[in-house]
Amino acid sequence: MKKIHKYLFLGLMVAAACNPFELDEIVDPNNPSVGSVSNNATKNQLQFLLTGLESRHRGYVGNISQAWNTFGREIWYLNGSDPRFQTDWLGQNGRVPDAAYFGFGATGGGSYASPYQAIKQAQVLIDAAANTTVVSATERAAISGFAKTIMGYQFMIPANFVYQNGIRVDVADPLNPGPYVTYDAALDHILGVLNDGLTDLNAAGTGNFPFKLTAGWTGFNTIETLKQVNRGIAARLNLYREDWQGALDAVNASFINETGSLNAGPAHPYGAPPDSFNPLFYVANAAVSTIIVVHPSVLDDATPGDKRVTDKFLLRNTPVTVSTDAGPLTGTHQDKRWTANTSSIPFIRNEELILIKAEALAQLGSAQNLLDAEAAINIIRNAALIGNYPGAVTKDDLIDEILYQRRYSLWAEPWGHRWIDARRYGRLNEIPTSYDNGAVFTQFPHPQSDLNWDAYTGN
Amino acid sequence: MKFYLMTKRLAFVLLLATGLTAYGQSYQVSGVIRDARTAEGIVGVNVSVKGTSQGTISDINGNFSVEANGSAVLIFSFIGYKTKEVNVSAATTSISVSLEEDVTSLEEVVVSGLASSVKRSNLANAVGSVSAKDLLGTTQIQTADAAIYGKVPGANIRQNGGAPGGGMSILLRGFTTLSGASQPLIILDGVYIDNSFQRTGRATVSGAGASSQDDGANRLADLNPADIETLEILKGPSAAAIYGTRANAGVIIITTKKGKAGKTVVSFNQDIGVGTPLRLLGVDNWSEDKINFFFAAARRPVELQRFNDANGKFIDYEDYFYGNTATLSNTRISVSGGDEKTKFYINGGITDESGVVKKTGFKRYSIRSNIEHKLTKDITFGFNSNVLRTVTDRGFTGNQNNTGASIGYPMSYVPNYFNLFPNEQGVYPDNPYTIAENPVAVTDKGINNSLVNRFIQAFSLDANLFKTDNSILKFKLNGGLDFVQNSTMIYLPEDLQYQRAQANPGDVLIGKQEAFNTNFQAALVYDYNVRAINMTTQLGVVRLDFETDVLFNRGRGLSPGQKSIKQANIQEVETDFTSKQQDAGVFVQQDLNYQDKIVGTLGMRWDKSTTNGDKDKFYGFPRASMAVNLTNFDFWSIKSVSQLKPRFAYGQTAGPVPFGTTFTPLTGVNIGGLLGSTVSTTIGNLLISPERAEELEFGLDLGLFNNRISFEGTYYIKRSKDNIQNLNLAPGTGVTSSPSNEAELENKGIELSLGGTVLEKDKIRWTSRVMWWKNETMVTRLGIPSYLTGAFGTGLGTFLIREGVAPTTIVGTPTTTGPSEFTVWGDSQPDFTMSWFNSITFLKNFDLNFMWEWRKGGDNINLQSFLTDSGGTTKGWFDDDDGDGTPNGRQRPPAPYNNAGRWVQDASFIKLRELGLYYNVPKANTDKWFGNTISRARLGISGNNVLLFTKYEGYDPETSTFGASFANNVDIAPYPTMRRLFFHVQIDF
Repeated sequence: MKKIHKYLFLGLMVAAACNPFELDEIVDPNNPSVGSVSNNATKNQLQFLLTGLESRHRGYVGNISQAWNTFGREIWYLNGSDPRFQTDWLGQNGRVPDAAYFGFGATGGGSYASPYQAIKQAQVLIDAAANTTVVSATERAAISGFAKTIMGYQFMIPANFVYQNGIRVDVADPLNPGPYVTYDAALDHILGVLNDGLTDLNAAGTGNFPFKLTAGWTGFNTIETLKQVNRGIAARLNLYREDWQGALDAVNASFINETGSLNAGPAHPYGAPPDSFNPLFYVANAAVSTIIVVHPSVLDDATPGDKRVTDKFLLRNTPVTVSTDAGPLTGTHQDKRWTANTSSIPFIRNEELILIKAEALAQLGSAQNLLDAEAAINIIRNAALIGNYPGAVTKDDLIDEILYQRRYSLWAEPWGHRWIDARRYGRLNEIPTSYDNGAVFTQFPHPQSDLNWDAYTGN
Repeated sequence: MKFYLMTKRLAFVLLLATGLTAYGQSYQVSGVIRDARTAEGIVGVNVSVKGTSQGTISDINGNFSVEANGSAVLIFSFIGYKTKEVNVSAATTSISVSLEEDVTSLEEVVVSGLASSVKRSNLANAVGSVSAKDLLGTTQIQTADAAIYGKVPGANIRQNGGAPGGGMSILLRGFTTLSGASQPLIILDGVYIDNSFQRTGRATVSGAGASSQDDGANRLADLNPADIETLEILKGPSAAAIYGTRANAGVIIITTKKGKAGKTVVSFNQDIGVGTPLRLLGVDNWSEDKINFFFAAARRPVELQRFNDANGKFIDYEDYFYGNTATLSNTRISVSGGDEKTKFYINGGITDESGVVKKTGFKRYSIRSNIEHKLTKDITFGFNSNVLRTVTDRGFTGNQNNTGASIGYPMSYVPNYFNLFPNEQGVYPDNPYTIAENPVAVTDKGINNSLVNRFIQAFSLDANLFKTDNSILKFKLNGGLDFVQNSTMIYLPEDLQYQRAQANPGDVLIGKQEAFNTNFQAALVYDYNVRAINMTTQLGVVRLDFETDVLFNRGRGLSPGQKSIKQANIQEVETDFTSKQQDAGVFVQQDLNYQDKIVGTLGMRWDKSTTNGDKDKFYGFPRASMAVNLTNFDFWSIKSVSQLKPRFAYGQTAGPVPFGTTFTPLTGVNIGGLLGSTVSTTIGNLLISPERAEELEFGLDLGLFNNRISFEGTYYIKRSKDNIQNLNLAPGTGVTSSPSNEAELENKGIELSLGGTVLEKDKIRWTSRVMWWKNETMVTRLGIPSYLTGAFGTGLGTFLIREGVAPTTIVGTPTTTGPSEFTVWGDSQPDFTMSWFNSITFLKNFDLNFMWEWRKGGDNINLQSFLTDSGGTTKGWFDDDDGDGTPNGRQRPPAPYNNAGRWVQDASFIKLRELGLYYNVPKANTDKWFGNTISRARLGISGNNVLLFTKYEGYDPETSTFGASFANNVDIAPYPTMRRLFFHVQIDF
């Protein structure tokens, strides 16, 4: 008896020795914290944030490529598993975009939330560089210039998504986001961001960019070439701003090269895990029912002999048909641009810059401008093996021609060029809907979460 | 610290207790205990001498012998019988006691605190209690949770699908959280066991999305339900308050079987059965007209050719995939017995069940040994060990995305004239229809396997520290550990149609998940009398530790037939995640009992946890309850009313803060060969506190005619506040959410139960019980912007979370007053649920049990119809009811036939949930046939999910592709529910 109680007593003493009320301090065992970089970040941490920005920078590619290019009828995204990629995105049976539309969710997804996440990442990177002493002033300026260039690019995505509904440009404080500004004001703001980025890059010395960039920036990883990329993006923006002189100036300061490769330009890299695969790649002639196919109007409207058609479109052995409650859609051609699922995807190319130059010149409209515009168009046409421009050299005819060439030169790039181009020229009604009996959207409402936030804060 | 003080006092008390014993003139009383109705001896009756620790247990024939002193009172108690007291004296040598069956279970003992229990007749809460007999007495159910269906008012059980091996959600009194699954805490013999839905990875490989679409099993499936003695269900905070954090969604306390002193009983059980689909929907036939209507012009000639080639030989794919007969087998051998010092219960079980889909099944191997030993007459140890191994193959069903890795998808699109079966060379034809995968090949070659090895160890120590004539101080220590290791594999070989179309054909995802939970609890319980009031005071500490470790590796581009990651071209660490959390708590509770007339409880629990914003802050949870047994008062004179007990209870509990809520991580990303850090889209909340629920419960228990009829009615109002949910930020700020403690929910409900003996004659006894319950849930405060969540978005129906609206509200396209206002199409919450249980004993040796369940109302989002309508295979698709030339399959109401309302359907149903008929072979017969070797033999037939009546157009109105969330009513290509029919043999030696 006594013995047992002794054991019991001993047991209790042991239990009391390991205090049951003492809890460990448990830090995130899986990730570093954002707080760890806000002050006195190391160079390595800045490098990680910078690479993180490259990752955020490509967040929009899949969604925009699939959706916006469908809106502009550059492609159909046939999806056997979910008919809404057809019915909803093509506006069939009277469907119109709402604040939580299929494919965009309550946050606008890849067309809204993702680009803003890249903007946030850029801001955290800029702030981290500003709040540390381990980098020199030129290094800090280089980081800031790079980050603002990406920021400017990304801002254009939500702006074009909701268009006349306007976007927020003051987004630094997550709990006090600024008001929506009009499309035009947003574009002006973006120009300011890009110009600030250029100013920073001008203060960033010369030579190689002082941090590691991925292979997507091969040929563009010096301070000098990054400035050219910055101006290329500004040129695209100025088209939307209809600042033709600004577009011309920017494009001339960009990496435009009228004799160089049309494909030259920085790109989003892709790779095997732990990287991500190229989201636009499909195996040739794969027996699948989910695939991006070339919109039949693109095939129907093509100029005979156009090299771009043979370069970019693959005639499948068997067409892909998907049935929905709005009837079947059949795709005969698939995207041929990507050789592998690790191919990188350019986000601005020399070919676009030449077309921007042509458009800016045509719009500026002097006789010499029109001739210069024609010459730029001919660079594109000859590269496509369809010979010199045969039409009249008037502003209107040249604009028609430029828009037509943009359909093939910039086909299905991760930007939705056709949709945006048709909209800025008031030509959405020229986008053919007869192939799918759908409708062409003009713009999207603000995402549900944005509307909810405003309702919540009473704005 | 309080704990140290307590320990010192305890040591003092321990020393005091050492020398105490009782003295007196002793004598032996023996006798026999019989069933009052059948006059057969009852084995296992507890016989105790009132006011002493003397006691024994009756043997197989009902005989007992016990030592008593002077003039004593013997108490005879046994589960299922009314307790009886008999006066004895030294003059008494032999007595005969007859016990009456207690159909009302007023005598059963129910947990009332962490270290105490109370008789049901004194209980102030509507605690649900399910005995082994209720659980499996009618039929054999695969998992313990599935056996609770219809047996506890207020408990809504939902089967996520019919796949073998479980996958149930248990919802007690509605949703208490908006962020998680509202699943109750489960405590098995004092061990906090893991009941999570672990990931299998199927939704990743099939492309369906997050792991909520894995259709994985909840880990309660590992337990052998035959080990369970009782299952007590604390439905809400008023009953569960003393469990503190983690008890918001209720607590289920499982107690396993114990050995009984006396003859060692070897019991052998064998169930053999078959499973068939509860319901098949049929498929539509094709005609030339239909082909011409359905297919694009260019495609028609090919399809017409295929149609004609079939030459009238059409294949019913639904029957091929879902219409198989499952074989069901359960084998159990238990050995139990012991003496007054040591009791043991050992049970080995093997469950081997296949499914109605080929190559699916569930195997469970379980060994349990429960040992209880009396070290001295005042110290008792208990050691319950359980080793478990389950192997589950659940096949490929549910949602998918393009991969075809869900047979219901391609099946919905394949016309019955097209042959998907392999040729003589074993080559499977390509599926040329919308989902480009051959489901026959997926079924034959795909693997979706989960192998769980699990060890649960419980220990307990009960010591009587100090004892006087009318007081006793006990020390109770218990706890244990639960270790779960789950190895999963999802495999789609390289030669499948979809895989061949990939850059890297062949996909294998191998997971290793480990969960290790430990807990212990130490309490002092002091039982004493203050005048006529019996008081119980308890004080204790609780400590919980949880660790998980998850690693998933994926290989793509596989070498032919190989499943090793090392045989893959692309080798990827898909997930590497660990978590760790610790909770600590203190509790005190005071129970008062005035002569069984007024029974009251006051209690308080304080908890802290590492997942909270402040890990050192204690959160307090009070409770109070009172029950008044009016019939026990002297003034009570109405003889026909044998019990009238108004009661009320109040309590608070918490829902834990999920691990990681305070973190704002930098997520690792790889791009172009570099590692980057991206800013999380979620901002951690360093001030987060647990969700808190409070509940007020009123009830009335009524017993009539000597409790032959009993009624229990309960009304509760449960409010939860500080509900954790993501404050969705304006996505324009680059972050999308931050957890908040803003929302408040309210659940109100009524639970009624009426039971009694309908008929009691010599040859027949019929007892019946009707239960009815309903719950209404409402978001009373949101505090954050309204949002939509769950299912597949507005086009197909989703849920609206908004102040003043039930969170179960289903909304969808079209919009109404603005781009973010959607049409309300339904509500997933049932209007009410009702069950009717009957037990009929007739011709002495026959038992017939059956239970009906009726769920009225509650809408499902039926996307199964959406699929088959898209594929033209819904039965009656080409019929044209309105004669406008557009077939029904293209015109599901409401007009204009493009909105989400088309897929929202009433899921009311009536099910014959359980049915069983047993024959107890009379002892005389077994003796005649087998000599004296068999003490009991029982044969039976039974069924589970025997009949279904519903207007719902799906395999089962109860299905959930998203598992246990409040989007638990989405039906998309589910594994069909099984009807299970059994033959049973039980032999006790």
